[in-house]
Amino acid sequence: VLPSLDRFREVNRTFPQTADVLEHKRRGGKVFGWLCTYVPEEILHAAGILPVRVTGYSREIELEDGSAYMYINNCSFSRSCLQMGLRGEYDYLDGVVAGSTCDGARRLFDLWVHYVGVPFHHIITVPRKYTERAHALYYQQVSGFKLQLEEHLGAEISDERLIASVQLYNESRELLRRLYELRKLAAPPITGAETMEVLNASFRMPKEAFNEHLRRLLDELEASPVRHTPRARLMVTGSVMNNPEFIASIEELGALVVTDELCTSTRYWSDPVVLDGRPPLEAIARRYLNNFPCARMVPSDGRFDRILGLVRDYRVDGVVSQIIRYCVPYAHDLPLLTARLSDIGVPTLALDVEYGTSGSGQIRTRVQAFLEMLEARKK
Amino acid sequence: MTTNGHGNEIDLLVRTSRMLARMNRARPGTRASQGLYYQLLADYYTRVRHAHEEGKLLAAHTVFFPTEILYAMDIVPMHTEMTTWLIALFLREQAEVLAKGAELGLAPEICSPHRGVAGILGLNAIPRPDVVLWSNLICDNTAKSGELMMELSGSPGFFLDNPFQDSPAELDYLTGELEEMVRFLQEQSGRKLDLGKLAEAVDRTNREIDLYREIGELRKAVPAPLSILGYMELLSADYMFPGQPEAIQYLTLLRDELKEMVREGRGAVSPERFRLMTLFIPPMHLMSFLGRLFEEHGAVSAVEPLFTYWSEGTLNPARPLESVARKSFMLPERRSMYGPLSEQALRDISEGAEQYRIDGAVFWAFMGCRHTCATIKIFKETLSEVDVPMLTIDCDIVDPTVNPEEEVREKLEQFFELLEDR
Repeated sequence: VLPSLDRFREVNRTFPQTADVLEHKRRGGKVFGWLCTYVPEEILHAAGILPVRVTGYSREIELEDGSAYMYINNCSFSRSCLQMGLRGEYDYLDGVVAGSTCDGARRLFDLWVHYVGVPFHHIITVPRKYTERAHALYYQQVSGFKLQLEEHLGAEISDERLIASVQLYNESRELLRRLYELRKLAAPPITGAETMEVLNASFRMPKEAFNEHLRRLLDELEASPVRHTPRARLMVTGSVMNNPEFIASIEELGALVVTDELCTSTRYWSDPVVLDGRPPLEAIARRYLNNFPCARMVPSDGRFDRILGLVRDYRVDGVVSQIIRYCVPYAHDLPLLTARLSDIGVPTLALDVEYGTSGSGQIRTRVQAFLEMLEARKK
Repeated sequence: MTTNGHGNEIDLLVRTSRMLARMNRARPGTRASQGLYYQLLADYYTRVRHAHEEGKLLAAHTVFFPTEILYAMDIVPMHTEMTTWLIALFLREQAEVLAKGAELGLAPEICSPHRGVAGILGLNAIPRPDVVLWSNLICDNTAKSGELMMELSGSPGFFLDNPFQDSPAELDYLTGELEEMVRFLQEQSGRKLDLGKLAEAVDRTNREIDLYREIGELRKAVPAPLSILGYMELLSADYMFPGQPEAIQYLTLLRDELKEMVREGRGAVSPERFRLMTLFIPPMHLMSFLGRLFEEHGAVSAVEPLFTYWSEGTLNPARPLESVARKSFMLPERRSMYGPLSEQALRDISEGAEQYRIDGAVFWAFMGCRHTCATIKIFKETLSEVDVPMLTIDCDIVDPTVNPEEEVREKLEQFFELLEDR
């Protein structure tokens, strides 16, 4: 019914060794991995590099190497990514770029550099505030990164190329926004699990190809007779998560995940780069620091307000907060967020999970009970 | 917990500290600096206890916060993590405090001193702070604990954004952050920052760092003159009194005592059998036990390179705010715990092992401190290159249920046996 979705699924099934990546390498291109959403992908793209997001195993597996190298009390996302790196699954990477986003991300970067090794590596200091001084520092950091990259490549990254990359990435954001508009409908044509397949592909494919296939998917969805009428409209929030099976396990119970607040979803694509006459690098830096905030940012109200906005716009009945064990920023926010959601009458189900979980029996039982509670409230 | 909601636990901390000061002074053979340390602790919490009565602003702040500025504004600092540690160490009330943190919705993976801070505020076990100050130095827990503290205490707060790397732009940014914080504190307290007083604190910080370096040199002696309890004193001197006369008084006395001990060839334990390197902080609730166990086995923590080595540099009292910012880049803990993992931290470990003639290292793997544990393997390999074995003990700084004494005893005794065999 949705052939374009199959293309995205194929990318995700074969990632990290996708046909696109291998073809790019075969043609002599460079591929860089980025470790968090505060790394401006447009700069990599403008340099002719294929950026891919480093993610971990899409299933819950034993992380023997990840835990041995990074210790068990680091989040399973970091350990999972590191294990894939250690086992050579990202052996094609020519560079790794990170932000000082959270302790897990920065230590993943440290250990990647130390144990996996990569020809180019860079970490960007990301301020935790939105003040003008914070913007100035972040801009300085992004400029420093661009300069270092130019030195490494021996080539300048021109403003023209940056603008072209911004336009391409903004187009991608706009297409994803259109996809999310469909999820606002009373009976959306796409599930949360299917959406996650699209999102995963968005940071694993060349943007040009991704946009083309997403345009087709939007056409297919508009023509599709399938409409999902759920027993409850849910939103998923919290730690990094990109496993469609986890969402499918919730949706199998009759709910529909209609929106999400994750660094693999809305926090990745929400806000465009506004060029508005600014030099492109400045516009890029402003967008990335002002983007839909991660829990790392202070004050947390910026994040909470955006979540409450999504709850309203997508008519969310309940929020599923999934927090990976040892993902401290989100764990600290949880009591504050739960209280704010409660104030507007929206219950929260708090799940402690491991990265890659597909929704075990216990999670399923808790989601089932949550859905029953939501239904009882409606009566 | 028995609390009158007006800082009862602080009274208990004051009384316990005073009692320990008296006991240490009365016990023959005990360092006078140890008695002074407990007296200073009592003085610190007496100020906290009486801040409101004296019309002073009480500021709760997270670890590694530049409280030199608070002292220069006559604001009373209250170190949140240390207060939780001391409640664990002295009052043994950690179970109730952590239970309250859990009741407030904080997950068990959150660092226990931060769960504890929320707990003690939730229980009204400490005086209500007038302001909450927190920063991202040194982890996500410190960065994220402030907002809940503000909510629980109903107090305004300021988040100090401490940049990740050491560069001129980041030093400027941090200096600007400090300026902004001063404006916030002036608004809250109605008091101006006394730049002259801050410059004096900066000047004293230079002396303080020199004293730390001198003490570090003296600790190379065989036998080593300072016990593991001394390590905790060294840490908290700067935590409580950065750039203050109290820190100078304590460190000078300690330096003189150690000099004397080294001159006389006296060690902290006798006979000295195992010279250990301590990586990270041992559990607070085990400190007395570790003191006894180390004495029993002739073990001594000769060096803690990631906690007591200050980076090179001198601060400029003529530029006091910038110097306070610069100091945060020189902190011993910064090299291994904040910023990209530095080669210097690894060199400190391997060179420290040689210079201090270390037999073995103990890494206290505090499960709430993720970013430090992430380097366990690297540190172990670094030490292995200089033929020093490393024992890793999973622990919690505050919660005694994670590692009961007997379990720690067994692990350490096995390690001592291994060192003996070598």
